[in-house]
Order: sequence, then structure tokens, then C-alpha cells
Amino acid sequence: MSEKQLSKLFGLENSHQIDVYIEQDGYRAVKKALSELTPETILDLVKAANLRGRGGAGFPAGIKWGFVPKGVDKPKYLCVNADEGEPGTIKDRYLMTNVPHLLLEGIIITCYCVGIHVAYIYIRGEYEMVAQRLEQAIAEAHAQGYLGNNILESGFDLEVYVHRGAGAYICGEETALLESLEGKRGNPRLKPPFPASIGLFQCPTVINNVETLANVPSIILKGAGWFCQQGLPKDGGTRLFGVSGMVQKPGVYELPTGSNLRDLIFQHAGGMKEGKRLKAVIPGGMSSPVLKADEIDIPLDGDSLMEAKSMLGSGAVIVIDEETSMLDVLKIITDFYSHESCGQCTPCRVGNPWIRKIVHRLCQGIGGPDDIDNVRRLADNIMGKTLCPLGDAAAMPILSLTEKFREELITSLNERRQES
Amino acid sequence: MVKIRIDDRELEVQEGITIFNAASEAGIPIPHFCYHPAFVPEGTCRMCLVEIEGVPKLELACSTVVRDGMIVSTQSDRVRDGRKGVLEFLLAEHPLDCPICDQAGDCKLQDYYEDYGLYESQFSEVKDKHDKKVDLGKHLIHDQERCVLCRRCVRFLCEVTGTEDLGVFERGSHTEVNLYLDNQVDNNYSGNLAQICPVGAITDKDFRFQTRSWFLEEAESICPLCSRGCSIQIGYHPGFSRFSLPKRVYRIRAKTNETVNGYWICDLGRYGYRYLDENRATNLKARDSQSRIQWDAAVTLLSEKIKRLYYMKRTSRITVILNSALTNEELYLAGKIFQKDLTDVNIFFADAAPESGDDVLLTSERTPNRRGALELGFDLKPVDMDILSSQTDLVIIFGTHILETHSLSDLSNAMENIPAKFVLAPHTSDLDPMVDMVLPSTHIAEKAGSLTNIDGLVQSFQSALHPLGESQAEWQVLVDLGKELAINFKFYGQFSNPKNINREMGKEVPFFGK
Ligand SMILES: Cc1cc2nc3c(=O)[nH]c(=O)nc-3n(C[C@H](O)[C@H](O)[C@H](O)COP(=O)(O)O)c2cc1C
Ligand code: SF4
Ligand code: SF4
Ligand code: FES
Repeated sequence: MSEKQLSKLFGLENSHQIDVYIEQDGYRAVKKALSELTPETILDLVKAANLRGRGGAGFPAGIKWGFVPKGVDKPKYLCVNADEGEPGTIKDRYLMTNVPHLLLEGIIITCYCVGIHVAYIYIRGEYEMVAQRLEQAIAEAHAQGYLGNNILESGFDLEVYVHRGAGAYICGEETALLESLEGKRGNPRLKPPFPASIGLFQCPTVINNVETLANVPSIILKGAGWFCQQGLPKDGGTRLFGVSGMVQKPGVYELPTGSNLRDLIFQHAGGMKEGKRLKAVIPGGMSSPVLKADEIDIPLDGDSLMEAKSMLGSGAVIVIDEETSMLDVLKIITDFYSHESCGQCTPCRVGNPWIRKIVHRLCQGIGGPDDIDNVRRLADNIMGKTLCPLGDAAAMPILSLTEKFREELITSLNERRQES
Repeated sequence: MVKIRIDDRELEVQEGITIFNAASEAGIPIPHFCYHPAFVPEGTCRMCLVEIEGVPKLELACSTVVRDGMIVSTQSDRVRDGRKGVLEFLLAEHPLDCPICDQAGDCKLQDYYEDYGLYESQFSEVKDKHDKKVDLGKHLIHDQERCVLCRRCVRFLCEVTGTEDLGVFERGSHTEVNLYLDNQVDNNYSGNLAQICPVGAITDKDFRFQTRSWFLEEAESICPLCSRGCSIQIGYHPGFSRFSLPKRVYRIRAKTNETVNGYWICDLGRYGYRYLDENRATNLKARDSQSRIQWDAAVTLLSEKIKRLYYMKRTSRITVILNSALTNEELYLAGKIFQKDLTDVNIFFADAAPESGDDVLLTSERTPNRRGALELGFDLKPVDMDILSSQTDLVIIFGTHILETHSLSDLSNAMENIPAKFVLAPHTSDLDPMVDMVLPSTHIAEKAGSLTNIDGLVQSFQSALHPLGESQAEWQVLVDLGKELAINFKFYGQFSNPKNINREMGKEVPFFGK
């Protein structure tokens, strides 16, 4: 049935080097695309494959590329989102470290399809070694004629540049990323206009996550039907799940979209650590609403998690055990979003720090159940009222956690009051 | 045009405009902080939330463009709750120091709290501390605790002056507006920041702690300090004379005028208001008389002296020094009397000297009606000192600008032997001891009329303030003089206000008849 496409070469020695990569059938997809396929065919293929974005929002990639207007005389850009800021997310680092050329292949084909001649990889500032690998891979690809002018004699030109971020989570939000890339403060832009029409330097721009693009070569080589079979008809391919927390074998696992969350934790990741019992799972990065232990028999795809009022997000599965206090989890969540709010819009700028102050107080045993209600009320006043999705990303986990673990929060609060 | 509905109102509005603008045109208020018509909407304060039928989330009025058939609600419970939530956030960390805030009474936070808030505070944490007194430059102080981070000030300095002195620093609850490095906001438009700040975060050093905004009344006028002709709003204390307050005028602010100054005025016009009340000539003064003289006696005396020269056919020995801070109507009357009725009077102009302008509003002509004087046929000749000293038997000097271009000794030497000398000016000056009679006049804010700006736009205005003391508008003095001279009595007899002078002027000078 399903094969590993993305992580196939993980662990192979020097898989990041172009010779090793080519030995393993690398760059065949680029050759095929540039010599046999037209941009229109590629667009149809990617649409038919139902490749959904792996960065968090799950938007179909083919449809996004189709939004780029044709026949405008401005340059167009591809921005690869390698900011990987969502807490718990580690997959893009694995991809870029092990198979940077797979990403480059995806970039080349995407740019060929959309008519783009300049691509930027915006990479998380802390990923210094990974950025060096990318630079090296780009140099190798240049030397072998996969980048630069007239790639493989096809007449198609492309340059790829690596740009390192400076450590702000918000710069992973696509429009803040564009601002940052332009050299400005990383504040999200008001939409519309959308980046597909007015993006980087006011030009049409496609923004995709690293993993999304890394899926493109196999669609070219094996077809849309095959890709859909790897996952679900409406949500094709495999996904890299980054499992962290109280499991035996934390790490990155490539599974078909739609695999069961319980299996991921208890089979692939080896189950809970010795003597620990499962309490809760955050299934798609910190922004996604938490699932209780009895809610994890669920297929890991966007629609199923949405039905369970959560999100597949970036596929970062955070496993929480019985001994971890949900009040502490709440504190970690609200610390993070207060710190990372860009400060541009009122509800997020003031609401998150306000919630944080209350939660910190509760952690010291000061306050009562009313405070939890007030936290919920404030999160509700943030939800749906902010300029960018960070507001919702902060409110959703807070709302779900305070709903599902209200009793536990009150118990912890009372215990801490007695201790202090 | 598209058809939309806002609340119960069916509207037909221009395609492509925002809900906010459609609502404003229809007089439906939408609360807002970051939106300002001079700038592209940024959608950050989130106060302008409205509900659109068929759209699940509340949307922003300031940035959402109307669509045909759109049904918008600005007052539904959801909208009111949404706005209340945003306002609660804005006020949570706010210092609530309204009792000592200059903006109180004029503040959007206060207004909207009346409309949408009125809740019990649920904030029981310790408030964040920020700097309450950042010196931004010559005219401004910034209170970071009151700031709602609407970025109006930042955008103004990027888009209007291009000086980019302010920026947004830090993020989350630490976000603040501050100066870049050791910049200062000291351009000629800085005062606009205090005016466009929707709260009391940027205050004007000149106005700080001087009065409460609710004691002031506001009246419109035109700034006379250059030839742009910006619309201004004068904030004055109506009880000034009754309560012997230290000041009458407390501030001048820009009045929106799309065709001339948009939303701004320059600092020269904003802070130059002291000329309104300082060194004012408020009483008639005659050199040889201890007793007080009245206006009619003074005008009669002046006219007798003129008539004597007229009967002797010696009007060429009369010199009149006008200026282009006079209104079109006044210059028209002066032309009528001194050029047409009395024929060969010497007419000169003494104006404030030109200085360099800029490419925002300020022009190099530091006088408001040069263009009007030109259109009325004056050639704006500067004062000829030879004529003044040796060919003049009677001089009338309008205003005091001549002191800026001529030294006091030159002037007193030149005027020494002139038998009859009059000054008609709003201010006392060193001219006063040199002349026989000082007649107190008014400036633009205290009279009605019209001015022609540098682009040839004729703007009429009403009087904003009462003339101080005995001062009288020049047009009134000229009408009275015209009547007294009785050369053409009927003509001057028809004028009781600048409006009817203007009508007559329009008949005679086609430029003003348009
Ligand atoms: C606050 C915030 C942070 C985000 N961070 C990332 C990130 O680190 N990496 C990423 O790929 N997408 C991130 N996203 C999602 C991007 O905005 C965007 O949806 C994505 O890059 C689109 O690519 P895709 O369609 O291939 O998923 C973030 C979104 C938000 C709101
Ligand atoms: S929601 Fe938060 S991060 Fe997003 S624009 Fe508003 S303040 Fe910035
Ligand atoms: S100082 Fe005033 S104008 Fe500037 S951002 Fe703050 S509230 Fe807005
Ligand atoms: S006025 Fe619309 S968001 Fe500020």
C-alpha cells in the first residue's frame, strides 16, 4: 500500500549530497517535468492529487497555485516557509537536513509550473546548520545544471536564495514572512489582497511549506491517482508526524494521511514511557485544541480532526501524561502566545498577556473558578476578532483546555493555594 | 453604483468604497481608532467591527469593500458585544488618568466607553508600567501608557512628512511607539500628531495642562500666515473677557478641507496663534489729544484731511501703504477709494518678507492674499522712500509689516515732515509714536470676507472671534471713510457686510464673479 516518500532516505549516509541523492533516483522528477510536461499539466496533476498544505492551514496546493494571475508583467515569487515555529514541530528540519535536494526538486517543479524565476527559502533562524546544508545543496544543484539559467537545456531559469529568520514565531505566518523578507518588522498584513496577487515586493507570490513542496516530485513521477491512494482521496499522500512528549520513541514518523492517532502513539512511537499513563494529546502543534485520552481513536487527516473540533495543523503530536498538570500546560501555552504576539492588533496584544497574568496568578494558588471563566471569556473575545490567525491559534487551545480540564484546573488551583 | 443596506437604511453607494465610508456618507457612526481617511486602512484596532449577512465572522468596516446587495448591521448584539470586547482590551492596561489628561472630553476611548462599555472592570492584575513622558521633540510629549498603538502618528511621519522619526518597537504587551535612535520629531508639521492621536497619548506641550477641552469653543477661520489658505479651527475660551482669564485663544487646529489642506496644517500656523492676542492695539489713540476719541470722529478727521488735498487737486501727495493680509473685499474698497475716487494716490504694499516654503503646505509667500491683490489690479509696489519723505502730505499705513523691511530711523526720518500720518493696524508697534493717530483694526480671525490663495482659489470665511477692545475690521473703516468722503457716497452706502461688497466686486472684477 503506502510507501515512504519523504523519509525514504532518512538515515542513508550522506543523503544530503547530490551524488548520493541522484544515485537514489533523485532529480528524475525535475527531468521529467521539464522535458515532458507543460506547466498546465503539472497544475492539473497537483490539483488532482489533492495535495494539501502541510504548514498548518491545509489549503490545497494546486488551487493556491492557480490563484496566481497569468499574463501580468511583474515578476512572481515562491516563498518556501521553513520557519517551523509551531511548538512541537520538527519535520521540516528532518526533511531539509536529510534530503535538501528533495525540497529543491519540489521548488524547481513548482516554479516551472507557476512561471517563477526566483524562490526564497525563509528558514528559522536557529536552524543554522540546516541553512548551511541548503546553501550547499543549492551550490551543488547549480553546478550540475539543476538551477541557474536554462536548466537542463529546457530554457527555464531559476535562482533559489536562503534567508534566515531572526527568531519570531509570527514570521511563520505567511504575510509576516513576506514583510520580514522585505526587511521590515514581521507584522502580518491585512488581507485582502492575498499574496497570490500582491505578495513579496507587491508581486504575485506563492507561499508553501517545506513538506508540501517535498511531496511534489513523487506526484510527477507516480501520478495523482497513486498519490491519492497513499492517503485519502481528498487529502492525498503521506505526512510526517513529529511525536514529542512522554512516549518511548519520540521522533518523526511518515504515515499515510488518515492513519490512526492511537496507532501513531502506541505502535510507531512505542507507547507511553515506562510507568506513565496518557492524559491528553495535542494533535497538530500547540495551536490545535487538545484531545483527551479517550478521544484519540481518530484518523489523522484535516477533516476528521476538524470534526473532533481540533486541527491536524503541522502534524506535531504532543503527548501529555497523567502526572503533567494541565495548569502548567496552560501556562506554557499562554506564555508562548503572549510572548509571540506581534502586538499589532488589540485583542491579541492585550488579551493574551491578560490571560497570562491570570494563569500565572492561578499557578501560585491565588484566585478561584471565576478566573477560569474569565480566561474563557477573554479567549472568546480574541477568537475570530484578530488580524491574523495567531489570535485564534492562541484562543483555541485555551478554550479547549479550560473546557475539557476545568475540574482538574480547579483542583490544581486549590492544591497550590494550600501549599502556598 | 451598488445597492447596500446598512441597518435600516437602503443606500446606493459608489462601487469600491469601504463599508466605513458608505456609512459615514449616510451619517451612520462607526467607532474607530486606527482608521484615518488620509491613510490606507491597516485594520489593527479592531474597533470598527460590523456584521455582514452571510459572513460568519464579524468584519472590519474600515477595510471591507461594499458588494452589491450587501446587508450590514452596525448595531446588532453581536456587533455591540464584539466592540465591547475590543474596548475592554484597550482599557484593560490603560492608566485611566482622565482627570489629568488633556484629551479628556475629546477622547475616543471615553466616547466609546459611553456607547459600548459601561461594564464593571474585570481586570484585577497589576498593570504594566510604561514611560509616561517621552519627549518627542519641540512640541510633543508621548505617554506610552495611554497609547492605543493605532500607528496614526507613525504613518503620518512616513507618508506626509517622510521624516520617519517614530516607529513601533518590541512586541506583545511590550509593544510601544517610540523615536528611532536619537531622532526628534521637529518638522514643521509635528503638531498634527497631537491632533490625530485619537487618545491622549501625544499631547501638545503648548496646550498641556492649560485648560480643559470642554471649556473651549471652536470656530473656523483661515490661517493668514502664508498663501496656502489652510482651514483652521480656533479653540478659544468664550468667557475670556468676563472672567479675566490669562488667555483667550488656547489652540489652533487643522480643519479638514479636502481641496486645500486636507487634514493638516503646519506648525507655523498652529503655534503662531499668539499674534491673535499679543501686542494688540485695542484703543484709538491720537497724539495731541488726552481725551478719548471715537471711531466716527477719527474717520471724520481723516476724511477732512483727505478732502482738503482733494479739493486742492493734490491727491498725488497722498500715500497709502496697503498689505496683502487684507481681504479681497478690503482691497477692493481701498482700490475704489484711493485709485478711482481720489485718482492719483501713491499706493504701496508692505508685507511680511517671503521665506522658504516646503512641498507639503507652507508657501514662501508669508501673506494670505497676494493673489487676490494681483487679481484686483494692484501691482504690489514696495514702499518708495523718496515719495514718502519728499512727496507726501498725508500717509495711511495699514498694518505694521513695514517695520520688517525698513529700519526705524529711516522710517522716522522719512515721515518726520509729513503733516498727517495715520496707522490702521491690529497690533501696537514702533510706528505708533511716529503718527498722529493709531486706529486699532482686526485680523482675519476677527472678521469675515474672502481670501484668494496661491492657486487662485477664493475662500470666504466668517468671523471666528469678537474684535478685541475698540478694534474694527478694515472693511468697515473703509466703508465709513468712503461715505465720509462723499465723493461717491451712494456707492459706499449700500455696504453693510463683506457679502454685499463681494457681490459688487464680482460684478466689476470678472475673476471674482465666477
Ligand atoms: C502564527 C502562525 C505561524 C505559522 N508558522 C508557520 C511555520 O512556521 N511554517 C509553516 O509552514 N507555516 C506556518 N504558518 C502557516 C502559514 O501562514 C501558511 O499557511 C503556510 O506556510 C502555507 O503553506 P502550505 O499551504 O504549504 O501549508 C503559520 C501560520 C500562523 C498563523
Ligand atoms: S493576531 Fe496577534 S500576531 Fe496576529 S496581527 Fe494581531 S497582534 Fe499580531
Ligand atoms: S501615540 Fe496616539 S497616534 Fe500614535 S499610535 Fe499611540 S494612540 Fe496612535
Ligand atoms: S478602524 Fe477598523 S480596525 Fe481600526
